[in-house]
Amino acid sequence: MIRFDQVTKRYEGGHEALSQLTFEVAKGEMAFVTGHSGAGKSTLLKLLALIERPSHGHVMLDGQNLAKIGHGGIPKLRRSLGMVFQDHRLLMDRSVFANVELPLVIGGIAPLERGRRVRAALEKVGLLDYERQLPASLSTGEQQRVGIARAIVAKPTVLIADEPTGNLDPQLAFEIMGLFAEFQQVGTTVLVATHDLPLIKRMRKRVVVLDHGRLVADVSAEEVL
Amino acid sequence: MSPSTETQPQARARSTHSHRRPFSSWREHHGWSAGASLRRLASKPVGSLLTIAVMGLALALPLAFYLMLSNVQSLGTALGRNQVINVFLKTDQVQANAQMLAKQIKQHDGVANVTLKSPQQGMDELSKMQGFGDALHALDDNPLPYVLQVQPQDDISADAAGRLVDDLRGMQGVDMVQDSGTWRQRLDALLRVGNRLVLILAAMFALAVLLVVGNTVRVDITSRAEEIGVLKLIGASRAFVRRPYLYAGIWYGLFAGIVAVALALGIEFALVEPVARLSQVYEGKLQVAGLPQWLLLAVPVVAAFLGWLGARLVSAWQLRRAV
Repeated sequence: MIRFDQVTKRYEGGHEALSQLTFEVAKGEMAFVTGHSGAGKSTLLKLLALIERPSHGHVMLDGQNLAKIGHGGIPKLRRSLGMVFQDHRLLMDRSVFANVELPLVIGGIAPLERGRRVRAALEKVGLLDYERQLPASLSTGEQQRVGIARAIVAKPTVLIADEPTGNLDPQLAFEIMGLFAEFQQVGTTVLVATHDLPLIKRMRKRVVVLDHGRLVADVSAEEVL
Repeated sequence: MSPSTETQPQARARSTHSHRRPFSSWREHHGWSAGASLRRLASKPVGSLLTIAVMGLALALPLAFYLMLSNVQSLGTALGRNQVINVFLKTDQVQANAQMLAKQIKQHDGVANVTLKSPQQGMDELSKMQGFGDALHALDDNPLPYVLQVQPQDDISADAAGRLVDDLRGMQGVDMVQDSGTWRQRLDALLRVGNRLVLILAAMFALAVLLVVGNTVRVDITSRAEEIGVLKLIGASRAFVRRPYLYAGIWYGLFAGIVAVALALGIEFALVEPVARLSQVYEGKLQVAGLPQWLLLAVPVVAAFLGWLGARLVSAWQLRRAV
């Protein structure tokens, strides 16, 4: 499903964020990418979403070489991904409903179907009663759950999350990860970048460890404990 | 949607639902963008109203000039109705010749009426004038010629009246032609200059509208850079991101066009009373020249187009930089 093949990413100025990185994530698998700050976790996710392009090597998604996707094809690729960000990236002047609805509006889904799906997504993250509120009136954890609802509402085949629990207390973080695990159970491929080791241990999923852009460990779910 | 009840193939089948309804999807995108841009305008009412007012004034100015010129033209036409061309025949012309010439002139294009005045009638009129009576008695013979008073048609243009005068001068037996309508030709020439000025002004103010919308959209895009970034990240195409800004341009233009038409109608209304007074002086021959209906409809449409064009040009450039 996701394959990094000898991927190197060098930014302008010469900083090498990823170096000769090779690993695969199978369809329907959930994996954590971890490492210290600057290890290359975020860059890895940016390459998947075509926010950045690799300097060398290939990134494959569902059998498609992302290097062959031109500028015009990027929106379509991103519509097939669900993305969750540490800072939520919500539109603060729009209601919770309108935020979650956005990927469906972009995808051209009919209004009735949009309403049904948005409410289902909000119900899934436990925020159905908040649909008319503005994000600013919600707590950080609730805002993160709105971000997750927005990421899952269009039923992506791949869900990627960059430090999604960075600002949350441990229990809330575990609940959020539980949501991701539920989506994995119905066939969604989930890739989560985090440096929260206790949380990773609790989740018992595969862990890919990066250090200075290099893969230093790839631990299966069974080996995590 | 619940992951526990819906399989991924089912979900994907639902996701591709949109590809089977491209037209309604396109229509919904536009409806969504149009609504979103209207809400944005309404969310900052003072700024939006000021922008619309500036654009409306800019569009109203050429309309006001157009209205002014139309009324001057109307005044010229009304005054032209009093125009009389006096054709003095040579003194050797007899009554039969004068009558034949009068008949010939009456058939000329643009002539409404011809009145023949004999030398005796001329003498009688002169003798009634103070100071002339005694002088005329001193004459042995009547030195006055036959005179044809030619009245042009009401709707004759200044050019046609000028051609008529030239034709009259060239007729056999005509000694002199006295035209009271030369001023009309001068006025028409000035009106032509004015009309050209209106066109130049309209083009300049159209450019101003383009720039105002362009700058407003530029500022809007800059202030919404974060939102644009989010939209791009969740898969919005450039066209989708740009669409609300294009609609904003259309709304600005449309509302400004309506404001301009309202202002022009206000000016027209303000002219009714003074023109009615002026009309009394000219025996009710003068009427307010209003803006034609097609122009009242065309102004908002053209303004909306200008708004769209300004937004299109700036958003294409700005979004390429911002995203």
